[in-house]
Amino acid sequence: MAGPSNAPDAADGTTAPSGGGPWSTALPAWAEAFAASHRSDLARVAPFADIDRSWAFGDGTGAGVTVAVIDSGVEGGHPAVGGALRESVRIELSGEDTAVVRDEAVDAVGHGTACAGIIHGLAPAAELVSIRVLGADNRGKGLAFAAGLDWAIARGASVVNLSLSSRSEALYATFHDLADRAYFANCLLVCAANNVAVASYPSLFAAVVSVAAHDVRDPETWFYNPRPPVEFGAFGLDVDVAWRDGGRIVATGNSFAAPHIAGLAARIRAAHPAATPFEIKTILAATANRPG
Amino acid sequence: MTDGPGTGAGETEALRAALRAVAARIEAARRVTAPTGTAILRSVVDATVVLFDAEAASIALLDPTTGRLVFEVAAGAQGQGVVGVAIDPGEGVAGYVFSTGQPIALADVASDSRFGRATAERTGYLPRSLVAVPLADDAGVVGVLEVLDKRGGAFDLRDIELAGVFARQATVAIRSTRVERDAATLLRNVLADVGRGTRRDETEPMEDDIDRIVADATAELGDTDDVLWALADDVARLRAADPDQLELVRELLGVLIRRAERPRGGVGWRRR
Repeated sequence: MAGPSNAPDAADGTTAPSGGGPWSTALPAWAEAFAASHRSDLARVAPFADIDRSWAFGDGTGAGVTVAVIDSGVEGGHPAVGGALRESVRIELSGEDTAVVRDEAVDAVGHGTACAGIIHGLAPAAELVSIRVLGADNRGKGLAFAAGLDWAIARGASVVNLSLSSRSEALYATFHDLADRAYFANCLLVCAANNVAVASYPSLFAAVVSVAAHDVRDPETWFYNPRPPVEFGAFGLDVDVAWRDGGRIVATGNSFAAPHIAGLAARIRAAHPAATPFEIKTILAATANRPG
Repeated sequence: MTDGPGTGAGETEALRAALRAVAARIEAARRVTAPTGTAILRSVVDATVVLFDAEAASIALLDPTTGRLVFEVAAGAQGQGVVGVAIDPGEGVAGYVFSTGQPIALADVASDSRFGRATAERTGYLPRSLVAVPLADDAGVVGVLEVLDKRGGAFDLRDIELAGVFARQATVAIRSTRVERDAATLLRNVLADVGRGTRRDETEPMEDDIDRIVADATAELGDTDDVLWALADDVARLRAADPDQLELVRELLGVLIRRAERPRGGVGWRRR
């Protein structure tokens, strides 16, 4: 049985993370690779300097690209989304069966709108599609998520932003298949890495782009990490994001880092429509900020 | 299946006897350890408030019977109003973190007056900033730990990691109590199968028989007046004692146990 060896300490409240540097906790902190003290480890081998951002991004608008947001819904009328939302669907569950149905352009939480706003800010001409998979039925959420991803690939999205993942072992093969299908359908899956020390899919699959937050307060600063599974670090600390009911909020987490990479990927795909997920990933690595 | 291979009357009775013994042990374990789950959760939120220098912290757990997230424990003067509040797993920040397993931190919450108004009205407290992390392990997400209003400023990435450490402690505590509950459920299912096996013409589990077996097992333990259960309650209370006292009690009990095991009619107890 796996269990943290320090568990009994909780009873008397003596467990305190050790002092020292800000990243000194012995945790699977995917964000740790992108902390200032660790960035010098991000050196690369390829002559990536020959690719620059102006070539990579073209006009930088994301025109002609569809980005799907699988999340809590997107508030279509929010100023941060700028009218870019083209379609909204939600997944309905009936036992083991799922159905994709038209949805209002609403967001029950605010998180999907936050992601959509970040993507729109970086790729203002890209079209957005919202797939709401979070609902009251907790048991079916893995299935709903898989059905939403399946629909996004079939819908022809070039980029899909996923700030959620599934731990269901029963759905491991399903997500693996979906990740492969997306890859071969020229659909780039951008997943927020999960900081919790457990397997989660599809964020840990090789075919996806997995993203953690860094602490540089700039949406156009991103880092490439040559040590998988989490290959990219993007802006995710104190991000001023759109939230529900036309509001805004300051948010921190890997799930706000992923849409930055999704927006940048939309720019690349718009400038190079034939680029495959493998090529987009390579271009993102080539144009990442220099480590250190 | 109406009759398992080799389930003669004698074997069935032996099996029932074994199951009664298992039921008795589970009940004994439950009585001695039941309060510890909540106690550990409470100590986790207490420690969280102190170490973050936060206004409040709380833990919400999924209630499997209702499918809702229920705030079980809270610490900090501002946090108490939330205990007992139930929300949908798709509702609000706690619901989002529970559903996605993604930890997030939010600031400037109060500047958006619409944020969490419904919950704030129920709890009497609207935070300015918060961090919410899932209580998760390999088997999935069981709840959410929230920390509200760190006095030193906004929550950062490291705070999310730290909250994750506390969430891990809470998850371990919750799992251990659920394992116990699962054992009781498993036993009930096994008893149901035995019930099916003993009456060949009936396929429905015989609820009356099952209830009787469980009731018998519990009756064998005696009620709370029983001197053994009074002892079990005393032992449970001792968990609050300091380690030195606990060691002394353990030694005294050891002496008493050795004395109890001594053959009757002996000439007084001897040192080992």
